[in-house]
Amino acid sequence: MRDPTEAGAAGRESDGGSGRRITVPAGTATGPAVPGPADTVPAETVPAGGVAVDEDVSTERPWLVIVWNDPINLMSFVTYVFQKLFGYSKEKATKLMLDVHHKGRAVVSSGTRERAELDVYRLHEHGLWATMEPST
Amino acid sequence: MTAPIRRRRDGRYVLHIDPKARLVLADLARQLPPALEAQDPMVRRLFPPAYAADDQAGAERSYRALVDDALVNRHRRALEVLVATADADTLSAEEFADWLDAVGALRLVLGTRLDVVEDMDPPAPDDPRGAEYGLYEFLGELQHLMVEVLAAELPEEGRPEGAW
Repeated sequence: MRDPTEAGAAGRESDGGSGRRITVPAGTATGPAVPGPADTVPAETVPAGGVAVDEDVSTERPWLVIVWNDPINLMSFVTYVFQKLFGYSKEKATKLMLDVHHKGRAVVSSGTRERAELDVYRLHEHGLWATMEPST
Repeated sequence: MTAPIRRRRDGRYVLHIDPKARLVLADLARQLPPALEAQDPMVRRLFPPAYAADDQAGAERSYRALVDDALVNRHRRALEVLVATADADTLSAEEFADWLDAVGALRLVLGTRLDVVEDMDPPAPDDPRGAEYGLYEFLGELQHLMVEVLAAELPEEGRPEGAW
């Protein structure tokens, strides 16, 4: 994860004393960021009430939801997502974020397979790299 | 000293963003939906696997079939809101949330394209990726400032167990 308060973040320039203003770095190109034609239009479907598949009724082992370290997501953003999605305190969310950052992964929630899959989906909505696996 | 981004008393968000930066944002946001809909390899980071183990390939296929359209639609809608409100001085809470989604999606795609790794040094001045890396850093700073504002609205002690 990245800490944007480190050197290298995009410039903020003074705005004549009225405040800071967010700017793009000088010389930044606005060329194509992403290639690809648009010829498929997906259906307007949103999973309602959960996204569980193949309910695993034969086992009561809880499933673990794991978030993996990635080099792109910001530390502040990951902490915020843990707080927002799971209602964790800032302290707990920060600890989980640091576990992800330093250990490479952290278990962020656990529960039934359906619940775990819903949590994974909510994390994916926010761009976090989350997987699920049965506890051993 | 006014913060670059803040929440006003009426609940709307004020963003002090340079007009050129707003054009850049809208420009980027217009380019991503076609790649999303074409499932271009560049956007793969927006669709992480849920089931990573080899013996869960079937579950992963079912998961993808269930959620991929919803993920595409979520990000596409957020990007459309960003384009439509790129020059707005203030944003509603819903629009602000869409901006956060759109900026995050753009960042993940640019980061994938740039092969960003942990503790990466910025490209050298003559590196052709320099401009794109500048955009990536700009999106990171914007996301960080937005998150700071949103995080300040959450209860520091969290929510009661099970409530969401």
